[in-house]
Amino acid sequence: MSLEIQNLHVSTDDREILHGVDLSVAKGETHALMGPNGSGKSTLANTIMGNPAYQVTEGRILLNGEDVTEAEPDERARAGLFLAFQYPATIPGVSVANFLRTAVNAGRDEPIKVKDFGALLRENMELLKMDPAFNKRYLNEGFSGGEKKRAEILQLAMLRPQIAVLDETDSGLDIDALRVVSDGVNALRGPDLGTLIITHYTRILRYVRPDFVHIMLDGRIVREGGADLADQLEEQGYDFIREEVSAADAS
Amino acid sequence: MPPSFLEQSRRSALEVYEREPLPTWRRSGFWTTTVRNLRLDELEPRHHDPVASVEELPEVAREALAGDELAGLVVQRGASTVHTTLDPALAEQGVVFCSLERAIEEHPELVARWYMKRLSADEGKFSAAAAAFWTGGAFLHVPAEVRVERPFQVVYVIDEPGTAQYAHTLAVVGQFAECSLREYCLAPDLEGQALHAGAFELYCQTGAQVKLAHVQDWGSGEVYDISTKRVEIGRDAHCGWVPIHLGGHLTKQQLDIVTAEQGSDMRHTGLYFTEGQEHLDLFTTDLHEQGDTTGDTVWKGALTGDSRASYEGLIHIVEGAQNTHTYLQTHSMLLSPKAKADAIPSLIVQTDNVSASHGGTVGEVDEELVFYMMTRGISRPDAVRVLVEGYFEPVVQRLDDPSLEALVRARIAAKLSAAEQQVAAYAAER
Repeated sequence: MSLEIQNLHVSTDDREILHGVDLSVAKGETHALMGPNGSGKSTLANTIMGNPAYQVTEGRILLNGEDVTEAEPDERARAGLFLAFQYPATIPGVSVANFLRTAVNAGRDEPIKVKDFGALLRENMELLKMDPAFNKRYLNEGFSGGEKKRAEILQLAMLRPQIAVLDETDSGLDIDALRVVSDGVNALRGPDLGTLIITHYTRILRYVRPDFVHIMLDGRIVREGGADLADQLEEQGYDFIREEVSAADAS
Repeated sequence: MPPSFLEQSRRSALEVYEREPLPTWRRSGFWTTTVRNLRLDELEPRHHDPVASVEELPEVAREALAGDELAGLVVQRGASTVHTTLDPALAEQGVVFCSLERAIEEHPELVARWYMKRLSADEGKFSAAAAAFWTGGAFLHVPAEVRVERPFQVVYVIDEPGTAQYAHTLAVVGQFAECSLREYCLAPDLEGQALHAGAFELYCQTGAQVKLAHVQDWGSGEVYDISTKRVEIGRDAHCGWVPIHLGGHLTKQQLDIVTAEQGSDMRHTGLYFTEGQEHLDLFTTDLHEQGDTTGDTVWKGALTGDSRASYEGLIHIVEGAQNTHTYLQTHSMLLSPKAKADAIPSLIVQTDNVSASHGGTVGEVDEELVFYMMTRGISRPDAVRVLVEGYFEPVVQRLDDPSLEALVRARIAAKLSAAEQQVAAYAAER
C-alpha cells in the first residue's frame, strides 16, 4: 500500500497553489511535511482527500498504483486514506458514537454488531485517555481545540486506514494535549499504517519521530531528508531554507 | 339532550360558518394559502362502529401505537369515537379521559367551565365549522396533585377519502398535577380528498407540569388540515409542547401559547418535513399576558420536492407584562431547488424591562460538512441523511418520550430515503 503523488498542480479560485509536487508515502513509513504558513501544505492535504474546492490541473494521485485523482472523497476513504483535519467540522445533532458507527459501517458490508462497536470504541477512547461521556456529545460542538484534535485521532483509530494525513494536528494544543495526541499516533504507528504529518512547527516531531522530512515552500517541495532535517530547521528556521532556495534559483 | 352551553355555542358557530366565505390567507405579497381546490360539498362525516381492541383499528393507527404503554387512549375514526381506554387506577384517582361527547354527558359542569375558554368560533369559517359540527372529540381532566407518567393518547384517523372530520380536544390539568398528552392525526395514503378541521385547547393550572406532543402525518393523499391549537399556562406552571408535522396536502394551523400568569413557563419546539406538492402554513403566537413569564420557541423544518412551507412566529408581550424573558428562532433547510420556505419571526412588545429576541434562517445542506463526512468513507446520500437527522435531533429529543422519538426518527429517515435521488441531484447542481 502506498500513496504516490506525481507532479501535482492544484488551483483554487483560479489561482495555482501547488506547482508540481512529488511525494510518496508507503505503509509503515512516517513522513513529515513541513513548511511555513501559506506554503500549500493544507492544499495538498485537501487535494489528497478530494476536496471539491481544489482543482487538480496537472499530475495525479495514485493509491496502490490506482489513479484516484478524480475519485470521490468517500471512495478514497474506503480505499484506505484518512485525513485528520486542521479545522474539523462541527456536526450538530450527531453524537460522536453515532458518527463513528456510521463511518465504521460505511467501510463494511455488514453493519458492525452493537456490542462489538461498543468494545472497539471503549478500547480506542482509553488509548486516547478520553472520558467515556465524550461519545454522547455532538461531534465537535463546543469542543475545545484539544478535544477536536483528539476526536480526529479517535476517528483514525476507529477507521484503521492504511495511509493517514495529519494536517496541523499539533496546532493549538498545549503540551499535555500534544503528548496525548502524539501517544495516540505512536500507538497506531506500525507496519500497517503510513503517516504524513503536516506541520508548521517541529515540536510534534519530538514525540513522533519521522523517517522522512519534506519541506514545502511556495507550493513546491524544496528539500528532503531524514529526521535531522527537522532538527536543522528547528535551529535555523525557514529563512535559512528560503535563502538557500533563492540562491540556487539565481545561479 | 345536550346542555344549553353546547347548544348555544354550536348555534352561534353555525351562524358564523354560514356567513363566512371560504377564506384565503394572504401575506406579504407572494405567499397565499387557498382552499379553492377543496370540494367541501363532496365531503361528509363518516361514522364507524366501535372496536374492542387496538388490533381492530385501521392499520395506520395500529402501527403508530405499536408497543406503547399508555395511561389511556381515545381513538376517533372519521366522525366516531371507536375506541377508548383508561387505566382504572387513574379513574379511581379522579382522572377523566374519554370522548368529549361522553364527558359532556357525564361531567357537564366540568366541561362547561373550560369549553372554548380560549377558542372562538369567530376566528374564521373552519374554526366555526369545528365548533358547530364536531363529533366524538377528546376530553382529559387530571385532578390537582395527580401525577401520571405514561402518556394519554388521542388519535384522529381518517381512512376514507371523502371524509370531513371535525375534531375537538379539551384538556385540563389541575393544580400541581403532572402528565403527558399526545395527539396524533393520521391517514394512510388516500386516493382523494378529506378534511380535518380541528380545535385543541389545553389549560395548565397553577403549578402543573405538562408534556404535550402533536404528530401530524396525513400521508400522501389530498388531506386538508385547518386547525387551531391553543395552550394556556397558569401560575408557575410549565408546558413543553412539541408539534411535529410529517405530512399533509395542505395544512393551515394556528398554534398559540399563552403564558397567562406570573411564573408560567413554556417551551415550544416544532418540526416539519414537507415533500411532493405539500403546502404548510403555520402561524404561532407566544403571548405573554403577565410579567415574570418565560418562553422559548424553536422551529425547524426541511423541505423536498415542490413543497412549500411558511412559518410565521409572533412574540407578543402585552402592557404590564414586565420581566418577561422569551426568544424565538426558526430554521428551514431546503433539500430541493423547487421547494420554497419562508420564515418570519416578529415581535410586539408593549411594555419595558423585558428580554425578547428572535431570529430566522433558511439554508441548505452545508457542503463542507458533507465533504468532512465523505472523508470518513460515508457516501453522499448517507452524509446528507445523517446531517438532516442531526439537524432535527435536538427537537426530537425535546419530546422526552423514547417511543415517540423512535417513531419520529423512523418517519424522517423514511422520508429522506424516499427523496434521496432528488437531494443528490440538487447537490450536484449547486
